[in-house]
Amino acid sequence: MLHTKNKTQLPLMGILDIQNTPCARNSILHGAGGSIVAGLVHFLVTSRVKRSFDVGVTGFMLTTLGSWFYCRYNNAKLRVQQRVIQEGIKNKVIYEGTNLDPTRKTKGDA
Amino acid sequence: MAHPSQLGFQDAASPVMEELLHFHDHALMIVFLISTLVLYIIIAMVSTKLTNKYILDSQEIEIVWTVLPAVILILIALPSLRILYLMDEINDPHLTIKAMGHQWYWSYEYTDYENLGFDSYMIPTQDLNPGQFRLLETDHRMVIPMESPIRVLVSAEDVLHSWAVPSLGVKMDAVPGRLNQTAFIASRPGVFYGQCSEICGANHSFMPIVVESVPLEHFENWSSLMLKDA
Repeated sequence: MLHTKNKTQLPLMGILDIQNTPCARNSILHGAGGSIVAGLVHFLVTSRVKRSFDVGVTGFMLTTLGSWFYCRYNNAKLRVQQRVIQEGIKNKVIYEGTNLDPTRKTKGDA
Repeated sequence: MAHPSQLGFQDAASPVMEELLHFHDHALMIVFLISTLVLYIIIAMVSTKLTNKYILDSQEIEIVWTVLPAVILILIALPSLRILYLMDEINDPHLTIKAMGHQWYWSYEYTDYENLGFDSYMIPTQDLNPGQFRLLETDHRMVIPMESPIRVLVSAEDVLHSWAVPSLGVKMDAVPGRLNQTAFIASRPGVFYGQCSEICGANHSFMPIVVESVPLEHFENWSSLMLKDA
């Protein structure tokens, strides 16, 4: 029986599929939080409503971008590590018992 | 394969397609933020009561809306160029397959060691078994060994066709009288579907491509069987 994954796709603003894009959901949530904090703090300090909204939107964009790049950079590092580990496992199996086996203990004779 | 009402790309089955997916996510996030900003500016412009009849210039905002788009474009261009050059890297293929487009089927030739060739016709809807995919299944699949660089030489016998497999990140035009080359590595075993991507007549929608990626020993068994049947 063929099972298809039920991927509910509701792109944000018709563009960004948050649920299936890595890091997207967290970035948007961080952005929303940053936006609220920035706008609120600005309003509490200056009591200017419109400017606070502007600051909030700017905060949203900067926080989203920052969180996005940070998460994507970490994911990229993990992917590189994963590839190195995979190569290492593959090579270990291939080279087991030969001179190139990295786990082979050298016995002192050249 | 694609699932019903799918909007995004299919899951990647090759390293190049993985990179393309990541770049797409990156570009899409930037586009989303720009759209949010533009939407906010529109709402602000429409709802403001402020007017100023005496603005002549404003150096600051002009600098901002010149420098910021330039920075955004650089942020998009650098990963894009990286992938472009990555896709053109010289690799050492383990296997070369010729894919020839006909009206309206594909034929594949494996001529590295023996002369193996076969045609790949779509299975008509009425002949499908339960669980098979409509308009996507073929009678013979192009079988390849997994995790090996594969070179595909694409051409056509009659009119323009295009050999495309989205999950492998591959699309290459099949031009009569011309040999086009593309290469890929299937990272995992599986069955990957594609369809002819250049209008080629009445049955253009009915000449799919099916690539089956298997471990090397299975590929060797398959090719021996195919040669025996030929």
